[in-house]
This record gives sequence, C-alpha cells and structure tokens, in this order.
Amino acid sequence: MVDSTLLLRFLPEFAILGAGLLVLLAERMGAQRRELFGGLAIAGMALALLFVAADAGLAGLGSLRGVGASSIDAPVATGALYAFSSLGLLFQGFFLASALLVAVALLSRPSREPGSPVAYALLLFATLGMLLVALAADLVFLLLALEVTAISSYLLVGYTRRDPRGLEAAMKFYIIGALSASLSFFGASLLYGAYGTTSLTVIGHSWPTGAGSLASAGYAFLLVGLGFEVTAVPFHMWAVDVYDGAPTEVSAFLAGGTKKVGLFAFFLLFLVPLLLVGTLSTPAGSARESIQLALALLAVLTMTLGNLLALLQKEMKRLLAYSSISQAGYMLLGLAVGTGPALTGASLQILAHVFLKTGAFLVVAAVAALGVGPLVADWKGLGLRRPYLSAAFALMLLGLAGIPLTVGFVSKFVLFSAAIQAEGWFLWLAIAGLLNSALSVFYYARILKTMYVDHVDPGAPPAPSPSEPSLAFDGLGWGRAGAIGLATVVIVALGIYPQPVLSALGAAVQHFLTLGV
Amino acid sequence: MSDPISTASFLGLSGALLGVGLFGILTRRNFILLLISIEIAINAAVLNFVYFAAFSSTAASGLNGQAAAVVLVGLAATEIAVGLAIVLALSRLRGSINVAEATSLRL
Repeated sequence: MVDSTLLLRFLPEFAILGAGLLVLLAERMGAQRRELFGGLAIAGMALALLFVAADAGLAGLGSLRGVGASSIDAPVATGALYAFSSLGLLFQGFFLASALLVAVALLSRPSREPGSPVAYALLLFATLGMLLVALAADLVFLLLALEVTAISSYLLVGYTRRDPRGLEAAMKFYIIGALSASLSFFGASLLYGAYGTTSLTVIGHSWPTGAGSLASAGYAFLLVGLGFEVTAVPFHMWAVDVYDGAPTEVSAFLAGGTKKVGLFAFFLLFLVPLLLVGTLSTPAGSARESIQLALALLAVLTMTLGNLLALLQKEMKRLLAYSSISQAGYMLLGLAVGTGPALTGASLQILAHVFLKTGAFLVVAAVAALGVGPLVADWKGLGLRRPYLSAAFALMLLGLAGIPLTVGFVSKFVLFSAAIQAEGWFLWLAIAGLLNSALSVFYYARILKTMYVDHVDPGAPPAPSPSEPSLAFDGLGWGRAGAIGLATVVIVALGIYPQPVLSALGAAVQHFLTLGV
Repeated sequence: MSDPISTASFLGLSGALLGVGLFGILTRRNFILLLISIEIAINAAVLNFVYFAAFSSTAASGLNGQAAAVVLVGLAATEIAVGLAIVLALSRLRGSINVAEATSLRL
C-alpha cells in the first residue's frame, strides 16, 4: 500500500536520507575525498531546504511544492502520525540551516583525519530526525524522531574514534541521552495509559479537563526527559562536558541544531494543554498557573545559573557551552508566557541562536585550527592578527548579548516586550530576562577585551602558526571561512531587516495556536 | 479478562523496574552493566504500553499501544547497539570499559 503522495510530501526527508545513504555507498566504493562526501551532504541539505521553502509557500517555488497548501495548518486527522504546520516547516528551515553551516565548515577538518564519511552520514541522519520532529503529531512518532537525532549525535560526538576526549564525551552524552529517553518513554506510556491514545492533539485536549494523577505524572516525566534534551538547568551538567570534548564543529551542531529540536518538542507537548486550560474557568485555570510557574521557574533558573557559571569559565568552549545553556532559558521563557507574541519571540530567539551559536562555535573551531590554545586568555591579541575572523566573532558575541543591529537584539526585544504585554507576574520574567542579558554582557565583553585591548607581552612566544597552513585564508580553509561568513551575513541582515521573518513567524505561530485550540 | 491486576499494583511493578534501571544508570561503573540498566529502564515503559494496551477500552486504542511497545523494543535494541559501538571504540583506545576512569573532562 504505497501512497504516491507520500513520496512527494516527504521530499525534504527523502533528499536527506538519500544523501546520507549515498555518502555511505560512496565510502564503500572506495571514495576517499572529504570534498566528495561533503558535496553530497551539502547538495542533499540544499535540496531539502529548497523543498521546505517551496512547501512553506515561498513565492516562485510553487512548482516544487510537495505538500498541498490545503494540508498545511489543516486540523490534525484522528490517528495521524504527522501533520504539516507552517511553524513546523519554518523550524525545518532553521534545522537545515544549522546542519548546512556545520556541513560546510566540516570541509575544513584536517585532511588526514579518519571518519569523514561517517561524520557526514551521521550529520544527515541527525538532520533527518530533526525534520521529522517538526512534523510530529503523535507522541511515539515525536519521541522516535528525537531518538533518531539523539542516537546519530552520540556517534557524531565520537566520530573520529582516535580522540579519547571525543569518545569520552560521546560516552557521557550516550549515558545521559539513554537516561533522558527512558524517562520520556515512561512518561509517554503513562499518558497513553491515561487516555488510551498517543495522539498529541487528543492528549493535549484531554488533559485540562481530565487531569488524572496518571497523566500529570506522565507530563512530569516528559518534562524531565526533555529537560535533559534542551539543557534546562537542573539537567544541564552533561552539556558542558560534551560540548567541550566533542570536535568543535559537532559542538556547533549540538548547540545550534539538536538542542532546538527538544525545544520544538516542548512546543508540541505543552502548548496545547497550556492554551486550552486558559479558556476554562477554575480550577483548571489554576492548573495552567502551575504549569506556567513550573516552566517559568525552569526558564529563570536556566538562564541565571547558565550565565553565572559562564562568568567563571576560563576556557572558550566551556564558556560558550554555559552561555548556550542560559540561552535555552530565554526560549523556555517564551513558552512559559505562552502568548502569540511571546512564542514568536522564542521562535525568533531559536532562529537567532542557530546562526549566533553555530557561528561562534565554528569560529572557535577555526581559531583552534590556527594553533591558538583553548583558554580565553590564549586569544590575546587575536583582534590584530586575524581582524576579519575576530570581527565576525565579536559580532556573534554582541548578538548573543542582544546588542542592536544583530538578530539577537530583535529576538530578545520581541520576547521581553511580549512578556511585559502579557502583564501579571510575567513582568517579573521580563525583568529577570533583562537582568540576565546585562549579566551576560560581562563575560562577552571580557572576551572582546582579551581579543582587542589586552597587550601581548613583548617577551611572549611568537604567534602560533596554523596546523594546516596550506589551507585557503591563511590556514582557515574555504569551508570554515564560508560558513562563518554566511552566518555573519545572516546575523546582520536579520538584525537590520527582520520584518519578513518576523511576520512569517508571527503568522505561523498564530496558525499553530488556533490549530491547538 | 478475568481477575485483572489492579493498575496501582502494576504501576508499582513498572515504576520499580524504572527505579532499578535509573539507579543502575547512575551508580554502575562498568559500561556493560550500565547498558543492562538502560535496557531495564526502557523496558519499564514497554511493559506499561503492553499493560495499558491489554486493558484498553477499544481495539484501535489497544493496537496503538501494542504498536508503540513493539517500536520501543526496536528502539531499545538500537540504543544498546550504539552503546556497544561506543564502548568498543573506548576499550580499543584505552583497554578499559570502566566509566569512572573517563575523567579527562571535568564534570
């Protein structure tokens, strides 16, 4: 029973899957060149991005459409495993953008390093899982798609197989991932027990009115399980070690890509009940308060602790990892407020983070390849030696701190003003967010000072030389330079002219919300 | 079905299974035992699906749960296979599968 429209609907996913299988096949046939594997992966991702853009209704791509316009944002049929929402399609675009940046940057890894076909294949399979998460309409489908991403990313962390630090990070990531998966699945089984179905819509609609203790426990287990996934604070400890030990391009993918998948899963799971409870009178109204309070607490804890610990870090990768944890707090804040504008802000924050954090980690990878050490202090004087690279990094840090003219400012502005508009105690959430942004400026500014202001001792050893000086751009390589340049351009472009993205996201969020209720 | 087990006592069983698994994941230092603990923890969810499917009100809902259980069994196997791949690479590199010896990253 093969449905011919099935192939059409899943064109982006098939493009990714096909590219992944081709990479593995090419490796079996004896291909050796990193460029070949990378080219296949990049082609697959670009094709998928094109199909997603066509499905999302980008003008001029109508003929490439695989999903009919009528089935996007349509009410979810009973028993459907997947559904196409415009918000899901936009998120697919975000996920693909992050994967594409990483795939381009991976081209510049050392040429003698083993495992490049495996890395590209795993990157593609992880992306496949991410794309499927954005379509999920069923709890088991959602968790399976999350697992596809997770399992691929454990292996991606240790893909070189020669680096003890990478393998150790893979092992820790694996243990935490398995823990989180077993909790999530246990939660899912309880929700199924409570309502006799795994459909997200039915569960979301049943919970506000018939919130038995079984279902509430199920939600609690899912909150913890997914909390690990998004590095929310009591469950964040693994992230720093994993980001630190993984090859830096992979850290970029984990921070900029796979973490966002967990956030989208949060959207799918908690929004419908949250919104629906709001339309009911008490006592269900107090249930809404209690979920919002739990999410708000998680958000504030995550951003505050992430920022405080980032202040103490001396190593660049660990610092960025903590900053990434704190950024997850801002996104959860949008979910806690739960209004249309707040979700638009959170989604925009996710988009901003894709480029800012992926870009920042890729700069770290590039700087490490130039022979600079892992400490922040090692970056001393880099602003003069590598002006373009440093300028790109400075821009990304300013974006993460939320300085105007970058996309980071726009997203935080939308998010915090939405929290203020929502009134009530959400005002305090906005204040907490603003204070945290101010706090984060300290450590970002410290890096900038190290790079640009601090004097290099005259007696210090000479500047390190690139590990592969033959690469383009003085040892930087085309891939890294291209990915970093691309991220920089998007950050500035969206910072100056966010209107189209903002309105598209706003409309998509509205559809998503009306669909839920 | 005659004389069904009460939901509360059943949840006690699957909860205990999850507890054993989680305890193992958090305390075991030998990677193989850790993998077994992971398997136990995931099987708690499988057992739940099977139980709730057996006592579900409609046939469709029962099939939904059974399908979820089967899918989960496959997932658990995948998860373990990946874990074994990691432990194999680690033991080749270091000659040990003790998790506690993995300390080059500060926790």
